[in-house]
Formats: sequence, structure tokens, C-alpha cells
Amino acid sequence: MTTHLTRRTFLKAAGVAAAAATGPTIFVPTARAKSDTLKIAQWTHFVPAFDEWFDKKYVPEWGARNGVKVTVDHISVNDLRARAAAEVSAKKGHDLFGFLDPPPAYENVVLPMNDAVQECEKKYGKLVNLAQRATYNPKSKQYFALSDNWVPDPLHYRKDAWGEIGMKPDTWEHIREGSKKIKEKNGMPAGFGIAQELDTNMMLRGLLWSYGAQEQDEGSTRPMINSKETVEAIKLMTAIYKESMTAEVFTWDPSSNNRFFVSGKGHIIQNAISAIRTMEKQFPEEAKKAGLMPPAAGPKRRMGSEHLLHCYVVWKFGENPEMAKKFVVDLIGAYNDAFLASEFYNFPSFSKSVSDIKGKLAADKFHPEDYGILADAEKWSAYPGYPGHTTAAIDECFNTFVVPDMFARVAKGEMSAEDSAKQAEADMKRVFAKWIK
Amino acid sequence: MRLLDREGFLGPVMILPAVLYVLALVGVPFCLSLYLALTDAKIASSELSFVGLENFRSALASPTFIKSLGNTFIFTFVSQALVLVLGKVLATCLTKDFVGKSVLRFLILLPWVAPISLGTIGWKWMLDSLYSPVNWVLQALHVVGKNTWPMWFGEKDLAMAAVIAVHVWRLLPFSAVIILAGLTSIPREINEAADVDGAGFWRRELYVVLPLQRPILFVAGLFGIIFAFTDMTVIYVLKRGGPAQATQVLASLAFFTGILGGDLAGGAAISLFLFPVLVVVAVAMLVIARRTEVT
Repeated sequence: MTTHLTRRTFLKAAGVAAAAATGPTIFVPTARAKSDTLKIAQWTHFVPAFDEWFDKKYVPEWGARNGVKVTVDHISVNDLRARAAAEVSAKKGHDLFGFLDPPPAYENVVLPMNDAVQECEKKYGKLVNLAQRATYNPKSKQYFALSDNWVPDPLHYRKDAWGEIGMKPDTWEHIREGSKKIKEKNGMPAGFGIAQELDTNMMLRGLLWSYGAQEQDEGSTRPMINSKETVEAIKLMTAIYKESMTAEVFTWDPSSNNRFFVSGKGHIIQNAISAIRTMEKQFPEEAKKAGLMPPAAGPKRRMGSEHLLHCYVVWKFGENPEMAKKFVVDLIGAYNDAFLASEFYNFPSFSKSVSDIKGKLAADKFHPEDYGILADAEKWSAYPGYPGHTTAAIDECFNTFVVPDMFARVAKGEMSAEDSAKQAEADMKRVFAKWIK
Repeated sequence: MRLLDREGFLGPVMILPAVLYVLALVGVPFCLSLYLALTDAKIASSELSFVGLENFRSALASPTFIKSLGNTFIFTFVSQALVLVLGKVLATCLTKDFVGKSVLRFLILLPWVAPISLGTIGWKWMLDSLYSPVNWVLQALHVVGKNTWPMWFGEKDLAMAAVIAVHVWRLLPFSAVIILAGLTSIPREINEAADVDGAGFWRRELYVVLPLQRPILFVAGLFGIIFAFTDMTVIYVLKRGGPAQATQVLASLAFFTGILGGDLAGGAAISLFLFPVLVVVAVAMLVIARRTEVT
């Protein structure tokens, strides 16, 4: 038997198929019911043990205590911002969204966290200064995010290599001099990223501050990047690059300097402690030769940037805002466990949410003395936008890599330090003009 | 006569889904981009103000934008030239009969059918500064020394060469398949007549095959130009536009500015600079399609 598909039959079938495909979307009611599920999005932690604790212990227990089903979606570090933008655009997504750097541009679409900050400050002590400056908008008097932790950014160095030349990387000049000697002696390069990525953004800001340079004024209203201090800092990094590094520092992503140090190829990087922790697990003998130091001092001060500042926002369009806030407040209350689960990676944003930090650091089984330097990390850590606030303009400059590019142009010999600082200023002015009215 | 049997009714009905599709997925986003580019829209702003051409002026004043514009043309035209030449070579090889031809065809198509991000991540590792298998091979062959490994994404020319190479790898199968279709459509008698007249390989290619293939080569080239001009995946995954914006193109710069930087209007304005080129390419494609139309 043969069948004939006539034009009319085909059109009828196509019409039925189209109706079947679109019907469900047409008839879905637009009103949303409040959900009994709490949906969390946050990064995939560089210390896997933290995600293990968070996903398999803390979250299920919290969910059971509060009668809420909690789902956690981990997103890679490079994709967080794009995912957040997609959720805001669709006005749909997670109830709680964890950022690795504060998102002031999103203030209009998030719930103020002032009440949660107040509650946490009552229970767990003051919000540390750098987290406060980075998540608070003094104009609107709103906390647009609630930070549960921040991450110090110490120097990682090879004690054996530095011991051989009888030096320590205490100042940036020491780093320049020592790196040159080590490269000449055993060929090991230094590793300070000059790439369009997160770690470079942080490390180079620390260098600028230690030279007395700054991105903007204290009132967060105008760029101040073009200064003689900036020029000096650029010249110093260019010298370190030319004398002691290879072009790979232009190729890096956030995990590259970890691999560079852990592999034993390089003798110094500036990074969160995930690098040395990985070394302890993968190459315990080599790890004994590694150590931590505070960021190097410059002519003006000793200062580095926080490596990450983790903070949660609650979207206005979220389905479970109250539970979302409660989750973060309770998480901050559990920071003794979180601090240990992260193997000291996550430092508490509320000063008393972890008891006896010094004692805990000193009890480390691998590098008690080295981790001990982190006890003072807050004193030598700042945040993007220092000494002003982290604003939307600073955020755009951060995410379009104005500072790394300023250094890279000079290190690659494309421009003088003076001209590059001028170009960075012009770039920042364009961005500030768009955001500040 | 029933309504569905009338050509005047049925024609528009049949074309309607395609029109709706283009309107929804191309027309609406394009109009939205135009609208955003003329305002001060930010990623989470609730209020917009009309700012005229300010975003375009701001983009043109940025050295990064100018650099990205130049990179876009280099990336597009160098990669397309390579894709067409190599595609032609590959297609010519595939017209011959040899053992394992079907396996080879399958392998050649893999880069095109595999997700672009996965393939690009593979290349990122192949060209890694620390663990690059490519560099290991070069070292084993004594082409480079242990401490003189090429840093594929560390030098601006090498970085551009690397992103172009990966893009060529990605687009080559598409181009080869189109050209192969063109080659197989050339009547056998024409080739035989050229043989009888004593034409060698090069003379036949230059005076017989290429002229006959010109329309299809144009189509392959123009499609490729659109793919390359609007693509940011290879650039973004491999090096995020670095080093020092040396591989930044307009599509990726628009993404960094609009999505990651939060300046939606600025990002929209940058993306619209692609439009004039794409219009020229689209018009050229329509003209060629019309000329080659069978009537």
C-alpha cells in the first residue's frame, strides 16, 4: 500500500506539530509560586575539599534543619559574570548568586543586604574593612552584596632557591634583584602574570599601591592612575620581566601561575594559598622547599590585593529571598568549619566568625610558620578601587583589564611607561564618564 | 478552489516560519542593539537615557577598539584565504579514489561537528606554555631548544597566528565540503574534453575548474567571512584577546565591555561596527545567488 502526503495533509500535520511544540509555553501561567527550593550558584572552588564540605555536608544539613531543598550549581571562575548577566537579563535564575569580585553594577537588581550585614555584625563581629569598602555603596547607603569570605594573596617562593642567594623576597626591589640572581644561577624564572586575567588584575594592583599609586581618588569620582608612582611601578615590573621572566606570563589564565609554581619551573608567584596546598598534596617533598611571605613592600607601603572577595547577592526576581539571606547568615555562623574545610583559603569577612585564627594557622601540619603570616593578612590587603569604594566604573575597568594592559604594553616594548599610564588614564576616564553622572 | 491550494496564499504561509524565525532571532536582537547603542544602558539599569552617537564616539576614541577593528580584519581575511586555499586542496584530494577515503572524510569533518568550545579547549592545552605537546614535538625534532619554547599566546604575532590556525582548523571541513560539492557537480565531459585537448593539471584547474567553481568559492568565502567576523569563541577560549589586546576582535571586545564590564550600551555600539561589513557580504551573497540562479 502506498500513502500520499498531500500539501494539505502536510500543512495540517505541521500546524498540529507547531501547536504541540508551542502550546506548553503559551499556556504556562506567568505568575510564579514561591518555591520551597533554594537555588544557589557559585564558583567551583580552587580547593576541592571546600566544595566537598559545602555540597555534601553543610548544605544537606542546613536544608534538613530548615525544611528546604537546596541545590548548588558550580560555575567555573571565568563564566560567573556571563552567567549572572544572563540571569539578570532573563529575570530568572538562582536565589543566591556568589560572585568572586563585588558586582556594584548589579545594585539595581539585587536586594539590599543591610539587614543581613547588621545581623552578622551583631553575632560575628565587624565586617572587615576591605569587604565593607568593596560591597557598600555610600551614595545609596546600601550593601549590594554580603561577603562571607575573602582570600589573601601572599607571595609563594622557593626557599631553596632564595636561600642559595642569601635573600628573601621582602621588597619589590629584593624581588627584582633576587630573581635576576636566581635566573642567572639556575635558570629558574620568576612568575608574575601580565595577562588579561583575574590573578594579574589583583597582583598588579598590589604593586601599584605599594608604590603609592592608586586607580582613583578616595571619593571614587575620578581616575588617578596616571602618576609618577604608577610609572615607577610599571618600570619595576618591566625590569623584572626583562631580567627574570619569560613571555609565558602574557599567556596565563587564573590557574597558570599555580601550575608554573607547582611544577617546580618557577621560584616565585603571588597567589592564593591553593598553589602551595596543591604542591603539598601532589609533591610533598617539593612542598617542603616552598614558603609563604606577605606581599612585597614598595617604597610607600606593604600592600597586596585580596585575591578574591567572595560575596553573595540575592536577585530581586529570586523566588526565595528570605531563605537566601538566612542561608548566608547561617553560613557565616558556620565559618569555623568553612575556614578549616577550605584549608585556610577562605578568610572570614566577619572578624569573629572564626575563633583563634592564629592558633588554627599554627596547627597546620605542613607549613605552620608559613601559614602563620596570614594571621595579619587583613593589614596588608586591599581591594579594587582602593582607597575609594569598588564602584561600577572600577568594576568595568577591572573586567576590561585596564591595569594588566597598561603593564603589558610597556613590558612588550610597545609603549613607554609614561605613555601607557596616560592611555590607561584615558581608558578609565571614558569608563568613569559613562558610569558617574 | 480551497484556500490551501492557492499559490498566493500557500507561498506566504510556507515562508512565514522562516520569516518569523529571522525576525525573532535576528531582527529583534538587531533592533535592540541599535536601541541600546543610542542609550546609556547598563547591565542592570532600570532607566535609560538617549545619548545619541556618544557610545560610537567613545568607541572610536579608544585605542583598544581601533586595535580590535584591525585585528578583526586580519583574523577574518587571513583565516578565510587559508581556508579557501586549503579547502580547495582538500576537496581536490577527496575527489580521487584511495583506500580509507571514507574514514578520512569522517576525520576531516570532526572539527566541524565537534562543539567549538571543546575543540578550542583542546588547542589551548596543545599550545600551553608549560605542557604543550606541540612544543614537545618541536623540541624532540630539535626545531626548538629546551629553553626557547615558543610561547604561542605570549607573543602578539604568534598569538594571532595561533588563533588563526585554530579557526582555520575549525572552518576547513565546512569549506572543503562545499567545494567538494561544487567539484562533483562539474560534468565529467568537460574534464574529459580538457584531457583530450591536452590540458595538464594546472591548466585544467586554472582555465576549467576554477572558473566553473567561482560561484561556489564565493559562497564558501562569504559564509566563512561571516563566521570569522562574528566569531569570538576561539579568541575568548584561547586567550581572551591577549596578550595586551593583540588578538582582541570586535565580537570579543563587545562581550567584555557589554557583558563582563556591564556597559551594555558600549558593548552594543561596538558590536554594531560589524554591521556595515556584514551588509556588504550579505548583498554580495545575494547577488551571486541571483546570478547563479537556474531559470
